Amino acid sequence: MTPRRVTAALVDYGAGNLASVARALTGLGYRCRSSRDPETLARADVLVLPGVGAFPAAMAALHAHHLVDFLGERARAGQPIVGICLGMQLLADSSTEHGLTAGLGLVPGMVRPLPRSRWHIGWNNMDVLGDDPLLRPSDGQALYFNHAYAFSAPGPYTVAVSRLDDALDEPITVAVHRHNIVGLQFHPEKSQAAGQQLLHNVIEGLLQ
Amino acid sequence: MIKKRLVGVITVKQGWAVQSFGFQRHLPLGRPEVVAENLDRWGVDEILLQCIDRSRQGLGPDLALLDRLSRQGLGTPLMYQGGIRSVDDAVAAVQAGAERIAIDSLLRDDPATAAALAGPLGAQAVVAALPLAWQDGELQWLDHRHRNAAGDLVATPLPAEVLAVLRSGAISEALLIDWRHEGGQGGQGGTPGSFDEALLDHWPLPGLPLIAFGGLADPLRLRQVLQRPAVVAAGVGNALSWREHAVQQLKTALLGLPLRQPVYAGAPYSGSRFVTALPARGAHR
Repeated sequence: MTPRRVTAALVDYGAGNLASVARALTGLGYRCRSSRDPETLARADVLVLPGVGAFPAAMAALHAHHLVDFLGERARAGQPIVGICLGMQLLADSSTEHGLTAGLGLVPGMVRPLPRSRWHIGWNNMDVLGDDPLLRPSDGQALYFNHAYAFSAPGPYTVAVSRLDDALDEPITVAVHRHNIVGLQFHPEKSQAAGQQLLHNVIEGLLQ
Repeated sequence: MIKKRLVGVITVKQGWAVQSFGFQRHLPLGRPEVVAENLDRWGVDEILLQCIDRSRQGLGPDLALLDRLSRQGLGTPLMYQGGIRSVDDAVAAVQAGAERIAIDSLLRDDPATAAALAGPLGAQAVVAALPLAWQDGELQWLDHRHRNAAGDLVATPLPAEVLAVLRSGAISEALLIDWRHEGGQGGQGGTPGSFDEALLDHWPLPGLPLIAFGGLADPLRLRQVLQRPAVVAAGVGNALSWREHAVQQLKTALLGLPLRQPVYAGAPYSGSRFVTALPARGAHR
């Protein structure tokens, strides 16, 4: 019997480049839907929340499309959710970008400016903390980052960090994991083979 | 530790990828989609797609090309430059597939709008592209859209209002283009034809990370430039199209610098032939 193809739904709220993420997902063999329709999103095996730009504008767009409560309900129902870049930050309780804005509140923590630098742009190694099975295989891999704010999450939810200069630098949280929710600060879809493999591991791990 | 980046530059004119020489002479290479696919497979760290006739012709960004590249599934971050006239243009370019946008004409024409791009996009997505030359004891900024009565390209000092935008935090990196040497092979140790490090020596904003481009094809020259703390990336254009695996070979020649290791289609690159110089211009076309 042919196994059923996994369907990933991209939450289309008007922020960011969906095509690159969609192409990465289909390249991994997943069926991919981009939608803001709650029924379509709820039917998917996994929700992917992408995003580029500023936190307040993205939250305003999620509110405008009535997706804030919906995403909370899906998270509580156990539907796997993967937030990418700004999509990871939106999982937080709040952000200080352009003033204080409430987030989705799905992973405890706050989004603040990066320590010691205005931006984190380019390829950096990810250090996986502990033995999170979804991220552990990608420990030490170089991944592509492009952000100015960072998610500050309590220890149990921070599963991977990066550092700007050396091992003594304050670590930047680059992946969070709480139950059925994973946030990735980097762009797996733009991190070549290392990102593809990581995205595959995360989705497969959440579906188990 | 954050890596320095080797940026593959694709210059597009009238929809075709071209080799560009000093901003004035262009030779066709082929379809930009094919050039981008090669750079992606060869593991370049970032691709800069610069559509050089969009601003001059008032065409706006080439969203159709960005969309095609996006659907192609490039796994490499893409920076787009060309025709961006407004915040809406910049947002559209990002939504069509660019991770970052680079602006030149907009900075010159409307610095306030250039600064406003950081609002919706975040400053990390905005790069200033500045074709410069060190001339008469100051940095001169080329206006590639205009020529004087004698038919020469016109350059002027960087205006205070542009420097203010660069200083404001609305721009994350400056792409310093040595336009005179753009397309040159870039001989060793600063011989004629290579990137003029005076652009870096005299750059007035030490806090702004820099991408160097123009006349950077020779590994030793690239190494000199990338060793500077302010330089976070270096762009290479024509030379990457002269031979297969040019990206990996350049990276192999740059071992010891904080660059991502060379890869081919995702796998570590093992064709470790050390390259001291790329072939002469046009040797492999």
